[in-house]
Formats: sequence, structure tokens, C-alpha cells
Amino acid sequence: MTAIAVTGLGLVTAAGIGVEASWAGVCAGQSAARRDPALAGLPVDISCTVPGFNPAEHVGRRSVLVHDRFVQLAIAAAREAVADAGLHPRTWDGARVGVVVGCGLGGVSTWETQHRVLLNEGPRAVSALLIPLLVPNMVAGHLAMEFGARGPNLVTATACASGATAIGTALDLLRAGRCDVVLAGGSEAGVSPLIVTGFAQMGALSRRLNDPAAASRPFDADRDGFVIGEGSGMLVLERAADAVARGARIRASLAGYGATADGHHMTAPDPDGAGLSRALRGALAEAGVGPGEVDHVNAHGTSTPLNDAAEARVLRESTGRRAPVTSTKGVVGHTLGAAGAIEAAFTVMAVDTATVPPTANLEHQDPTIDLDVVAGQARKQRIDVAVSNSAGFGGQNAVLVFTAP
Amino acid sequence: MTPMYDTLADLLITRFQVDAGEIRPDVTFEDLDMDSLFLVELLVVIQSDLGIKVSEDAVSPRDTLERAAEVVDEQVAASTQRS
Repeated sequence: MTAIAVTGLGLVTAAGIGVEASWAGVCAGQSAARRDPALAGLPVDISCTVPGFNPAEHVGRRSVLVHDRFVQLAIAAAREAVADAGLHPRTWDGARVGVVVGCGLGGVSTWETQHRVLLNEGPRAVSALLIPLLVPNMVAGHLAMEFGARGPNLVTATACASGATAIGTALDLLRAGRCDVVLAGGSEAGVSPLIVTGFAQMGALSRRLNDPAAASRPFDADRDGFVIGEGSGMLVLERAADAVARGARIRASLAGYGATADGHHMTAPDPDGAGLSRALRGALAEAGVGPGEVDHVNAHGTSTPLNDAAEARVLRESTGRRAPVTSTKGVVGHTLGAAGAIEAAFTVMAVDTATVPPTANLEHQDPTIDLDVVAGQARKQRIDVAVSNSAGFGGQNAVLVFTAP
Repeated sequence: MTPMYDTLADLLITRFQVDAGEIRPDVTFEDLDMDSLFLVELLVVIQSDLGIKVSEDAVSPRDTLERAAEVVDEQVAASTQRS
């Protein structure tokens, strides 16, 4: 199999703007969840939004006019990733640069705002920019414009696995030789009144409203749902031989990808975890490593009772108790379509810095979960093989395997 | 310049993030990086904020701001005469 290198990373999360701030926040294990004034009066009013993100400053003056927030977050993360890779659009052959971005929802804030305009002011007041602002594929289109990336360009939608699906799809594009560089990641800005209410009505969100910082607690016995977040994670991927030839720093290798469907239920994970298990085993087989060789797992770990139990069973059966597990959703919340990409970036950082971040709020590990879930402090240890799990409503599973370069 | 020119300039600055320093009577929408899609959006804003309906083909990206202000004023005058 052709080796694929991760040469650049970009992150915009509730833990901070930029890889350094986001990684430091995750390693500190302090949850970024807060009461959210924009959600006041709703059944759940806590979220993990990106603090201090100013589109005019971080993207550009006209961004507020032409980009929904999910695109703004993606542009900021992508610029960091491209710079981190030591690449510049002036020097690359744009026709050989692909973009694959995971997104579960699209421009939901635009949708809600303009629907209100339609109802209150009539059709003539609806923005002519409504459609280009809200369609989910526009995030990949804007990145093509931003970077002159004119190769394959698409958005993947597998709900909360979208970001991981995007990175796996990028792996396939590079191995097929369809392009030479892929900007792959995910972006989501779903903290809107309607979306949050929808998740609350499903019973998916934590109701720990009076203690938001303790609400996202993956694998804890007292977990009661996820905290919605927003953000973007971007990776620059190249064939390893190309990266070596241009003298790039390789942070980690993307060694395997597994993609499966449960075919079981709209929203509940298969209780046996058969789909996730197949994705995990497939990804490890592609990477050429055995389940017992996994050194670290960045779990999907949403902090919902069902997900964490089902995922823990899969991990216990396949990778055993040896690999230290973490869920970074304890700190940055669940960013839906961006989660798989943000967590892939954290997994790459874990490999690159030999550090497993702790799972925030893990005070009393669920006694039915027989795994080495890292709590309290980050753990320094060499990581040769790391796994990032993702699973989406709809029963879609995507697992990525990263290895030390 | 006319009051309508000043109103238009104000809309471009507050709603379209145009730099105040770039706004002059002889500057065209193209010069401001505003293509036909943005122009349609400007007409939507003029209608909803000012209550003035301007037909889509009345202004083009190659028109100057001065000319656009005249067109809006002409539409106001035409609709006043009709009513």
C-alpha cells in the first residue's frame, strides 16, 4: 500500500484557535462547555463554541457577507494546515490538489435566519445569497477558491463520522493517484437554536445545565448525553514519497481506513458494535498492524450512555485493555460533522508529541467499561499506532489508523 | 452628492463590508469586487431596508455608484408618478 503522510494540521475548536491552543486545552483536560446566551430559554442552553473567533479578523472583511460560519471556521483551519505543511498555493500545481471536507449540516444559521425573514418580512426580503451560504458543499468550493485547489473537490456527509470519512476518502484519492495533495478535514457550526432543540428533543444532550463544565464526561458512570460544539479540523495529506522528496516534516502516517454501516437503526448504535468493529479491524488490517499493537485510541466517546457503552465493548474485544483510550469530546464537545477531523488532528498530535490527553470529567469510570481510559493528567508515552473512531447517526462508521512516521 | 448616493454608500459600508475609503461616485461595482450576485443582494437590501423596488436589470456591475443612485431615484420617481 502506498504510504500517506500527514504534513500539515489546522484546528479551530472551543479549546482555542489554532493547533497549539487547541492541543494545550485538550491536554489540560478542562472542558470548554459554557452556558450559551444564544440558546437562552431553550431546553438545553450549554455549548462548546469557539471563543474569540472574529470572521473579519480571522478570515477577511467580507467573510461575514459571503460565508456561513461553518465555512469561516474551515477557512481559518485550512490556512493554518497549509502553512503548517510548508506549502503555498503559488508554488503548487492546483489541478493536482484535492479538497475533501466532512460536514453534517451545512449553513444552518443562515437557514434559520432567512426562514425567519421569509415568515416575518416576505419572500422579497430573503437574501439572494441564501443558497450559496447554506449548501454544505460550498465549504469545499470556498477552499478551492482560497487555495486555487482545482482537483477533486467534495463534501462528505456521514453525520458525526463525516470528518473521518473525508480523511479516509482523501487517502483513497491519493492512493488512486487522482491528485498529489489533499486538504482533508471537517467543519461544522451547528450551535443554532433549531439544531440544539432538535438534539435536545431526541434526548441526546446532557441536561447538566447548572454545571456546564462537567456536562461532557465520556465513559463516566454519570454521563447523560453530549454537549454540542462547533469547530473545524484540517489535515494536509500527501503520498509519503512526495513529502520526503520535498523535505516536508511528516507528523504521522495515515496508514489505514475502515468504513462500514450498521444497517441497524436511525440513531442507536448496533448494541453489538458489529459495524464499528468491522471498520476498526478493516482499518488495522489495511495498516498492517494487529489489534494488540494499538498504542492509543481517540474514541468517538460522545458521553451518551449508549454510544460509550457500545464503543467500549468493541474496543475491549478488539484492542484489549492495553491501549490508553481518551475522548477529547470531554473538552471540545461534540462537533458533529467536524468531530472525526478534529479528533484525527488530535490523534496525529498524540503520535507526534508522544502524549495521550486525558478525558475531561472522568471521575468515576463506568464499571461496565473495562478499558484504560486516561483521566486527570495527560500521559507521556511513545505511540507507534493510534486509532481514531467515528460513528454517525444513520449507522455510519469510519475508523482511521495513524502510525509514527 | 445626492441623499440617495449617501444612503447607498452607507449600505455598502454597513451591509456589504466595503471599505469607506474605496467609495467614490465614479467607482463601479466591479471595482468593489461586487458581481451580479452581490448586486441582486444589494437590490434585496434596498427593497427591504428602504422599501424601494428596483428591477434586477436596471443596474449592472459596470455602473458607477453615482449612476446606481440615480437609477434608484428614478425608480422612486416612476413609482410616485404611477401611484
